[in-house]
Amino acid sequence: MSTIEAEMTTPSSPKTKRRATAETMAKSQREISVSEFFAKNRHLLGFDNPRKALLTTIKEAVDNSLDACEEAGIVPEIWVHVEQTGVNRYKAGIQDNGPGIMKKQIPLIFGKLLYGSKFHRLRMSRGQQGIGISAAGMYGLLTTGKPVKIVSKVSIRKPAHYYELRINTKTNDPEILDGIDIDAGEKGHKYIADHGIEWVTHYDPKTPDAKPAELRSGTRVTIELEAKYQRGRGSVDEYLEQTAIANPHVTIHYLDPENNLRLYSRSTRKLPPEPIEIKPHPYGVEVGRLITMLKETPETTISGFLTNSFSRVSNGIAKQICEGAKIGTRTHGKKLTRDDIEKLYHSIQATKISNPSTDCIVPIGEELLLKGMHQVVPAEFYCAATRPPSVYRGNPFLIEVALAYGGAVETTKITKELLKELLSESDARTVRQFLINTFNGLGADAADKITKASKMGARKSPGKLKPREIDALFDAMQNVNVNEGQSMNVLRYANRVPLQFSQAGCAITQSITSMNWRSYGLSQSRGNVPSGPVTLMVHMASVWVPFTSESKEAVASYPEIQKELRLGLQAVGRKLGMFLRKRQLVKQQADRRSIFLRYLGEVATAVSELNGCDRQSVYDNLMAVAQKKTAEADMKLNSSGKLVDETEDFGDNVLIVEKTTEELLNRPGANGEPDDDEPLNDGSDEAFDEMEDE
Amino acid sequence: MAKKKSVKKQADLPLRSDTSEKVKLTLRDKKTIGSLTNLADTVVASAQKTKDPRLEIPTRSLSNVRYNKSQRILEMGKNTTARQLFNLNQAKSYMQTMLAAAGCKRLVESGKTTSIRGLYYLMKHTIAGTKEETFSDQAESDPIIEDLEVLLESLREELHLYAQQRGSMVGNIILNDKGDTIDCSRMGSGGYGIPSIVEADVIQFRECGADFVLHVEKDTVWQRFNEDKFWKKHNCILTHGSGQPPRGVRRLLHRLHNELKLPIYCVFDNDPWGYYIYSVIKQGSINLAYESKRMAVPEAKFLGLRAIDYERCNLNPSVQIALNDTDRKRAKQIAKYPWFEQKKTWQKEIQKLLDNGFKLEVEALISQGLSYVTDVYVPERLEDRTWLD
Repeated sequence: MSTIEAEMTTPSSPKTKRRATAETMAKSQREISVSEFFAKNRHLLGFDNPRKALLTTIKEAVDNSLDACEEAGIVPEIWVHVEQTGVNRYKAGIQDNGPGIMKKQIPLIFGKLLYGSKFHRLRMSRGQQGIGISAAGMYGLLTTGKPVKIVSKVSIRKPAHYYELRINTKTNDPEILDGIDIDAGEKGHKYIADHGIEWVTHYDPKTPDAKPAELRSGTRVTIELEAKYQRGRGSVDEYLEQTAIANPHVTIHYLDPENNLRLYSRSTRKLPPEPIEIKPHPYGVEVGRLITMLKETPETTISGFLTNSFSRVSNGIAKQICEGAKIGTRTHGKKLTRDDIEKLYHSIQATKISNPSTDCIVPIGEELLLKGMHQVVPAEFYCAATRPPSVYRGNPFLIEVALAYGGAVETTKITKELLKELLSESDARTVRQFLINTFNGLGADAADKITKASKMGARKSPGKLKPREIDALFDAMQNVNVNEGQSMNVLRYANRVPLQFSQAGCAITQSITSMNWRSYGLSQSRGNVPSGPVTLMVHMASVWVPFTSESKEAVASYPEIQKELRLGLQAVGRKLGMFLRKRQLVKQQADRRSIFLRYLGEVATAVSELNGCDRQSVYDNLMAVAQKKTAEADMKLNSSGKLVDETEDFGDNVLIVEKTTEELLNRPGANGEPDDDEPLNDGSDEAFDEMEDE
Repeated sequence: MAKKKSVKKQADLPLRSDTSEKVKLTLRDKKTIGSLTNLADTVVASAQKTKDPRLEIPTRSLSNVRYNKSQRILEMGKNTTARQLFNLNQAKSYMQTMLAAAGCKRLVESGKTTSIRGLYYLMKHTIAGTKEETFSDQAESDPIIEDLEVLLESLREELHLYAQQRGSMVGNIILNDKGDTIDCSRMGSGGYGIPSIVEADVIQFRECGADFVLHVEKDTVWQRFNEDKFWKKHNCILTHGSGQPPRGVRRLLHRLHNELKLPIYCVFDNDPWGYYIYSVIKQGSINLAYESKRMAVPEAKFLGLRAIDYERCNLNPSVQIALNDTDRKRAKQIAKYPWFEQKKTWQKEIQKLLDNGFKLEVEALISQGLSYVTDVYVPERLEDRTWLD
């Protein structure tokens, strides 16, 4: 008390210097630019660490490319080039064959945050906020000082535009460092080659000796950034692979920093139908939004406002809403008070309004899901289910599920050289952790099995392994049967974009863990994802995907979404159950037969010894009985005692591949081998002849 | 194909060497070979019709045993258990049954007999192309042989098989064993080992001066009686069967009783197992109920030990052996057998055992004197005629 009094009575004393006044404070109070905000809070946009920064950069660019191609009706072809330029420095170049960007828009799109076409409309698209790619450019600038390089071409006859841009973080405006026009045709190609401009001018030739087709239009963005390239979970490789699954109409050429060219070929040339833009549904609008909309509306009456701004509101419904809120239908929108608007809001919620039209949602479709899965995930059994559209909070959405069972385990797919590389790249602290992080679907149990089999200490660091230990680890990875300990590999998608992080917080994962997979023939411990060699893909398509956070990593759980997820999972689960039961039966049959065969020879010998008949003929006769018996017995009953129909019908959209493991491993695209499949040719469809389309 | 050939070779070799000597088959042997051949013919017939070959084996369990009240013996019921080649659980035992049949045929044709252990070795080999043995141990082959006996309705000796010799005899009787004359009163301390096969073609009784047969449970007790020359004093035949008597001993007791009209008296331990040994001698066993007719001695009497003997003979408390759970369970089981259920004296006896809570071995009587059992106990019982029937 006394010290405070002293301060107050002696303001000039050196101890109690006045810190700031309202005036001095006002001098430092100024607007914060969006760019400044995000430059400081880069983690909000997915740039929390160098590894994720590389992924986010590529992801934003690829998502934009795909959106643009689909909107323009072009079958997308994407080139992704990642190149290491220094320690922790990478250059990522992403090019598409999209419509290109008009010259004057280029600086705005790539050099200004929150500039875009997708934010203001309710339409199913990958990107939503218009932050992504410019934020990536900004991140590159902040970490390396290098500008964003853009090449864009709108027509085969018109010149291409080359820009070097950087974002002014203070003003959120683009600064053009260099901008030239490159002529169309041969002259331009020469210029591109001479000046080292990164641009793919031609498609891969159809056949090795054919003349390659020239790229008619497209956009390429090249960003150099501080990053870290690492394979495994949450990597660029994984993102592109998963993108290829959900977008079977896309071809991706991916050149990784180690100069391996990987090609994900499209399995269809059919573009998904164009999604239709819809007006918001009244149920999905909050009070605040309602106030803004009322302020902005050109309509003069409430009734007009309701019918024209929302979907599914007819004059009758508008009248009902107004009556419920006790407002005249012809009242001027701008005259409503806050209370009135609140009443209006409650009245909307109380009025029965039909669900929004669902044609604005474009599912991948069961057939394409199967193709996509088959292209990338080697397995024995595939099935898919697309649920009919449903609605949460006035937003239409749709759930699709595809499942692949069996096939080679990730750990057996790699070479020793690749393992050595992966080990040196890894930042995991223990080998066990390394295994779990690097290989998708490899559960903790399986990792334990492998480390135990390789006789490695539990806390061994992956970077410090001796060659002998690497050999042991490699052997263990090849030979340990991890099928049982393997946990289900879940691929989550929202509007065809893979979700790679925040697995636990996602409604999709929660639906999977809360389901009982044991009844479908998989083993599962309570509250966990089931185990087994299963890859499950879940896609949520919606005009507005409810993410749990800005970084778009997990879907929020609304009861309607959970219900649809459950139904979708059950649909594929049932088919998997049928397949597994049948396979079990086949196995039992083989076991039975082998037991009988073992004893037949003995019985035949004994019989011929007893009555002197010909041993061979007895044996042959008994063999015939054995074959008849085992075939019969398997037809009769299944495990639950029901009659099993031999020609069991799995229903639509099931793909059963009866191939050897080697064949599965040699699939193009799955093992990183360059493939000479020509992108303009739809030859890859032939690979689906074995599809069961009934 | 290569596999099959190798099997054939393996199986053929011993067969040839066995049949190379000419053997004269008896009528009974021919009958046995006939039924063995029939067995094989059924397999061939069903295989030709692509039908599942199956054997209908009479069931050897309590459920298929009937107590014949008038004859006072156990009889086998009509239930059979199917044994199919094309049934996962039965495939192996089917194969084993056929192997046993083939093995027996080999024995009969070569005119030799072997122990059931010998047959086990004869049949045992590795199944071609696998690491599996046809039989893993003798415990697997013994029930298969018994199955074969009931299946063919042949006796063990008809299959040229015998069991391990267990049981001895001493006493006032002279018999012929395969042509040799045996005077059982001059057998020293070891006694005459009762062979496994004691049919009339092997053993003929020549002279018998004994008045009764005293059958004791085991060798140690038998030694006491033999050393004290009990059989001389009381003019009897003294036998033992090393616990559960083998078929040879039971068949011999049956013959002694029926052909020489000798009463059979038994002295066993006072425990459920002793009771059951008595039951097997008297009524026949559940497992071999089909042989009761030629083995059971319904008139056999149970002299002791009785549950009341602890008090009756003033035994020392330290000779008690506490009943365990299995003993109690078995005692209750025995009390429920139809041939015990109707007998009040036996119900009382078993109840007394359970009430006592301990069992008594015959040797326990030694606490009253080394030769108490021979000098006092058995003579007293015979005198009083206080036995259980």
